[in-house]
Amino acid sequence: MDRIMNFETIYKSYWQKVFRLCMGYLNDTDAAKDLAQETFIKVWTQLPNFRNEASIGTWIFRIASNTCLRQIQKENKISKSELPLDIKDEIQETDIEKDIKFLYQYISELQEVERIIISLELEDINQKEIAEIVGLSEGNVRVKIHRIKEKLIQKFKKNGN
Amino acid sequence: METNIDFKKIWNQQNIETPKVNNLYTKANKLKRRSFLKLILVNIILLLSITFIGFIWYYYQPEFVTTKIGIILTILAIIIFLLPFKKQFSLLTKNKTEPNSKEYLQQLIKLKEIQVYQQATTLSIYFIMLSLGIGLYIFEYVSKMTITGGIITYAITILWFAINWYYLRPKVITKKNAKLHKLLVEFEKLNNQMND
Repeated sequence: MDRIMNFETIYKSYWQKVFRLCMGYLNDTDAAKDLAQETFIKVWTQLPNFRNEASIGTWIFRIASNTCLRQIQKENKISKSELPLDIKDEIQETDIEKDIKFLYQYISELQEVERIIISLELEDINQKEIAEIVGLSEGNVRVKIHRIKEKLIQKFKKNGN
Repeated sequence: METNIDFKKIWNQQNIETPKVNNLYTKANKLKRRSFLKLILVNIILLLSITFIGFIWYYYQPEFVTTKIGIILTILAIIIFLLPFKKQFSLLTKNKTEPNSKEYLQQLIKLKEIQVYQQATTLSIYFIMLSLGIGLYIFEYVSKMTITGGIITYAITILWFAINWYYLRPKVITKKNAKLHKLLVEFEKLNNQMND
């Protein structure tokens, strides 16, 4: 019973965050939902083994990041052309919707590891924790975040957003 | 360089409805059942093959030592062939604490390298042992045939082994390794991004 209660609390507080991380990685809503689900299945099955060596957030984001990185294994199985065309384009979008769309698109154009780092940064996770999640030094993470943000700004400027 | 684009604000606006947690339990149970069934299946095949061979040993009471060696080699070949399935299963479930992404990628690379090695080596050992096993096993029965019969039996058997060894084995190895190599390259690429 305890496990279920714990898990459901975690699920409620982290689902959106994990979804956004997957969305930043893939920029595809359905695929991101699948990855988020895969992440939480792992969280659910491994929860009894979780021993507080790291904070629960670090642990969940580690699982989420690793699930994203392992994603290539599946990409080999599904051909990309099978993905549905985006019909949303025809609908009038507000400015903020456009911004969201562009931000996620630009992030998904970055290198894989960069996508994860910037997604975690935008999720307001401190750099020390990001370093623990991806396994880089804090200094390295700081430099990377700075570089990625510059890239994103350039992309926004180039497209006149 | 700071700018007036508030990335965090935009980022957080991406919201969709949280799916029901029950769907997740259903999926998790399904996955658990599937991997459990796979493991059971591998064990059943193993058990059936060994029982079958054991039955031959018991029922026909071979006199030659070559027959007995043949039977043992065949059983070993089957075990060697099925072992990686069990090993992979334990490699994937062994991780207690989730590693960080850098360690994770390195583990994945190592796992793929092991798989590449296993596929080539295990399959070769499997074919050698199986051929030797069967070759030795049939010796007792062939020795009771006429010379022509014996030659024909061994010729067909050897031809079958040759097809396995020169055609089937390399084909299976190439096919399986091509996929693994592709993944290895991708994981190496990700790992290099870490060191940029």
